[in-house]
Amino acid sequence: MLKTSLIILVLFIIAFGGFVVYDLATAKKRKVVYRFKSSLTAYLMLLPAVILAFVFIMLPILYSLGYAFTDYYLLRPNNINIVYFQNFKDFFEELSTKGTLYNAIKNTITFVVGVVPLQIGLALLLALFVNRAGIGSKIFKVCFFAPVVISLSVTAFLWEQILAPGPNGLLNSILGIFNVPPRDWLRDPKTAMPCIIVLSAWQGCGYQMLIFLSGLSNIRKDLYEAAALDGANWWRKFWLVTWVGLRSTFVYILITVFIGACRILTQPMLMTGYMDHTVTLSYYMYNKGYTERWVGYSSAVALLMTIFIGGITFIQRRIFREKK
Amino acid sequence: MDKRLAKELPNFRPNKTPVKKTVKEVIYHIVGVILSLIFLFPIVYMLATSTKSETAYAESVGTLKMFLPDFANMSTAFANYKSVLLDYDIWKYALNSFIYAAIVIVLNVLINGLAGYVMAKLRFPGKGLLSFLIIFLIVVPVETSIIPLYSIVKIMLGLKQQMSVVGVILPAAISIFNVFLFTQFFQNIPKEYEEAARIDGANTLDIFTKVIMPLSKPIIATVAVFCFIGVWNDYLWPSMILPSADDGTWPLLPIQTALITIKSIEGITTGEIMASLVITSIPIFVIYVAAQKYIVQGFGTAGLKM
Amino acid sequence: MKKLLVSILSIMLVCVMAFGFTACGDNPGGGDTPGGTPPAVDAEGNTIVKIMFHVDKSSTEGQAYQKRLNAFNAAYKDRNIKAQGVFKARSAGASGYETELLNNQLEGTLADIITFDAPNTAAYAKSGLLYDISGLIPASEQEKFYSLNKYNGGLYGLPIQESSAGFFYNKKIFRNAGIDVSAFTAENPWNFAQFKDVCSRLKSFGKIPVDMRIDATKDETAPYLLYPFIYAAGGEFTSTDGYTATGYYNSSATVKGFQFIKDLISAGYTSYAIGPTDFFTEKVGMYLSSGWTIPDLDNKYRDNFASRDDWGLLPYPKDVVAASATGSWSYAITNNHHTDKTAIVELLNWMTSAESSKAITDATGMIPARKDVVTNYAVGSPEYTLLKQLEVSGRERPVTVAYPTFSLTFNQVIAGLGTNEVSSLLNSATNTLQAEMDRLKKLN
Repeated sequence: MLKTSLIILVLFIIAFGGFVVYDLATAKKRKVVYRFKSSLTAYLMLLPAVILAFVFIMLPILYSLGYAFTDYYLLRPNNINIVYFQNFKDFFEELSTKGTLYNAIKNTITFVVGVVPLQIGLALLLALFVNRAGIGSKIFKVCFFAPVVISLSVTAFLWEQILAPGPNGLLNSILGIFNVPPRDWLRDPKTAMPCIIVLSAWQGCGYQMLIFLSGLSNIRKDLYEAAALDGANWWRKFWLVTWVGLRSTFVYILITVFIGACRILTQPMLMTGYMDHTVTLSYYMYNKGYTERWVGYSSAVALLMTIFIGGITFIQRRIFREKK
Repeated sequence: MDKRLAKELPNFRPNKTPVKKTVKEVIYHIVGVILSLIFLFPIVYMLATSTKSETAYAESVGTLKMFLPDFANMSTAFANYKSVLLDYDIWKYALNSFIYAAIVIVLNVLINGLAGYVMAKLRFPGKGLLSFLIIFLIVVPVETSIIPLYSIVKIMLGLKQQMSVVGVILPAAISIFNVFLFTQFFQNIPKEYEEAARIDGANTLDIFTKVIMPLSKPIIATVAVFCFIGVWNDYLWPSMILPSADDGTWPLLPIQTALITIKSIEGITTGEIMASLVITSIPIFVIYVAAQKYIVQGFGTAGLKM
Repeated sequence: MKKLLVSILSIMLVCVMAFGFTACGDNPGGGDTPGGTPPAVDAEGNTIVKIMFHVDKSSTEGQAYQKRLNAFNAAYKDRNIKAQGVFKARSAGASGYETELLNNQLEGTLADIITFDAPNTAAYAKSGLLYDISGLIPASEQEKFYSLNKYNGGLYGLPIQESSAGFFYNKKIFRNAGIDVSAFTAENPWNFAQFKDVCSRLKSFGKIPVDMRIDATKDETAPYLLYPFIYAAGGEFTSTDGYTATGYYNSSATVKGFQFIKDLISAGYTSYAIGPTDFFTEKVGMYLSSGWTIPDLDNKYRDNFASRDDWGLLPYPKDVVAASATGSWSYAITNNHHTDKTAIVELLNWMTSAESSKAITDATGMIPARKDVVTNYAVGSPEYTLLKQLEVSGRERPVTVAYPTFSLTFNQVIAGLGTNEVSSLLNSATNTLQAEMDRLKKLN
């Protein structure tokens, strides 16, 4: 392992060196001046972060992505063979059977499409709600953030009780007052994913609320006054001042929530277990890698996921990038 | 009297009457309280359950009584908290977590702050590669990398027994996301501050410690709070690499692993488990409430752009 | 310019990864060569035998192990053998203990004796992690255990303790409803029809008849508690070598076993809606659970269950045959042991002796793994029922390398019983399991 890591380190240094040379060679063309002393200081100041990031973040990720081309089975760490693209072939074969993997992709897309607008919308509404002076709004701000810090196993257990099947389940008994027949929320393929979407949005939106709040704090107050003088109603004020002012915050939140949503794992794991109607791609990957021990195959799924998420993120950045 | 004024300024609207304003305030707060309850119910549940005996708890599950404390039997509540605090040595583990968190926060701010500063303010060849790597590493899923990380810490670095504490702290000291946060924050600090210091003859490191850091309290507070929450809530990694508690010696494990051990103790009641959860949630809340203002400022000044 | 940058970077990354995995194969420790490492000897000349446990040292169970190790060290002082315990709680999730185990194997520092969960026998044995001890433990000694961890004709582990499950029932409800179940004992269990009859009488008495735990499909709970029903109906899950599911998992007898559970749901005798505490608050007549519910009922729910007059334990019902749940953690000798196995076998024998077995089960409240442990359970007591049932009808979960997949598909079948036909559920489960088995068969 040490040997491999050293090889990777050397390659990394070569790659970095290549970039340095490239930058220096094109410096004139780009009209950039590099100063030797300043560059040296920069490297020295970066060194601790680069060393730690290399050892504890890059290496593990490269190893796990490298496993994608091997037949690594968890119980045989001494017997790893390169199988080239076999795992990727298996992936597409598995996909064509329309089994668990197909469902996992379908559910992940459902989840992303559902949770991204819901969570961002909720966060924005909450931010607008508490964005005012007064002790009340300060307390509310703390309350809305609470689910972010509470252990997910507690909240998952509670939601399970709320969504319990049969007429005595909490939600069912409340809906029963309005003559809605009881449902088995988490076992019914129609309602399970929506429930998980609502739970996740509820659990996570406090964090994005904070970021929206910080975006709101950057909007100058006189813009609202100017809009009011022009006779703008609240909607036009929101659209012309707030929304425009929040644009870059929104893009940031959109991208981070999207990345987080693509990786959804814990909620279905705690709420339903490994079932076809709620399994997600991350859960599939986790299960293949740890429970069923196919580390190689699971890494191949991770690699494909990275390419996919990276690609979409790149497109999002392209679309929403502010024109300068 | 306002009629004349209204004619002159067509868009001027007289102030709403005080009564109307009070009604609006009341409605605002009622809505706020209802919303808060929707977000607070896990905590209400934890608090309520921590006062109950096992039978009282069993009877409340699945009904709205889940969220009401057992007022009839307050002695149970005291017994639950007492047994958690005295019988299970929970404070030792809490102290460990505080120490780990403190070290991680200091290292995290220094290391990632320096990197963020360089990325935001300095020009050097090879910067493009690093900028790309930062975004790349934020995007890749890390779920599968815990097995190689374990091998690196245990086999390659050989961090075992007492030394494995280092293996808990160092991986937590680097966070690509925090580098990104710092970079964004520092980009918005006007150049003039640095230039003034440079004229006074300060070198780059001086500028970082004496000019930039004091201006960066909001982002430092933000990073510190999220580091704290991260360390305080982490259990999988520490329990994988730290040695299990030994007789007579001080345990090395952090608070969450203690919670898991407590949960698996034979004969423990749900009330006691919830009491331990309440106790361990308090520090997070205190710290979050104290630092909340800075977090909003920190994100605000960073102006987060992907 | 930017495009060029990105493409150069991607090529670099691919190169790095390529080198990464070519070198992944290099093998730092000689972990898989038995007998390679000489016996560890300390400064005083003692042979050190390392044993690794899956529990925290400060837990009740951990303390019991440590006490037995201390006693061993005192007894073997003259023979210069010293046992050293390593404790690694498995509370770190499914992978924590296993990751430690595998990394130790990779480093070549794996303990001589380890503990492992019985369903892993096949996978661990096949991967060369465990040593076949059939030659080291005489047949007369093997006979003394209720169950053994066998795979492919070899013996790979001896159980630490045993577990079994049964139907806890509320005696007060049964008395009031006029239901007499005293005739159903572990030696002479009830049958499927009698089980349904009791359910129907409980239902007409106005109680939910039975909590079959069909909602516990997120972990090993449902598979562990429910698999005996399929064996009882004459069904099977896999072939004996563990590599064929088709024709077993979807056989008509297996369908019959699952159909029995589905019938209970259809008749309203059990449901997914039963809450986790409903039995303890006397809403449910019977509760399928493992032996660990005994201390809970004895201590935690005094308000509803004042004494053992208020609750009892019934065995699994039988159909074609009687079958009941077994299986717990076991000891195994690893393939990383020293050339000289004597010391290791001494420790293994010590830890699995009747004396150790008793000391450990006294601490954990579980059932001893050995038949020759003297127990003083009163005839008809819950512990007695569990022990007798184990002796008469205990049968382990299917022994297959693909056990994790079996467990997942079993959960999916149970979760789907409410709305789907048994045969279609089993056909898709069989396909999944068979595909996994075929994949594992190729791995050599």
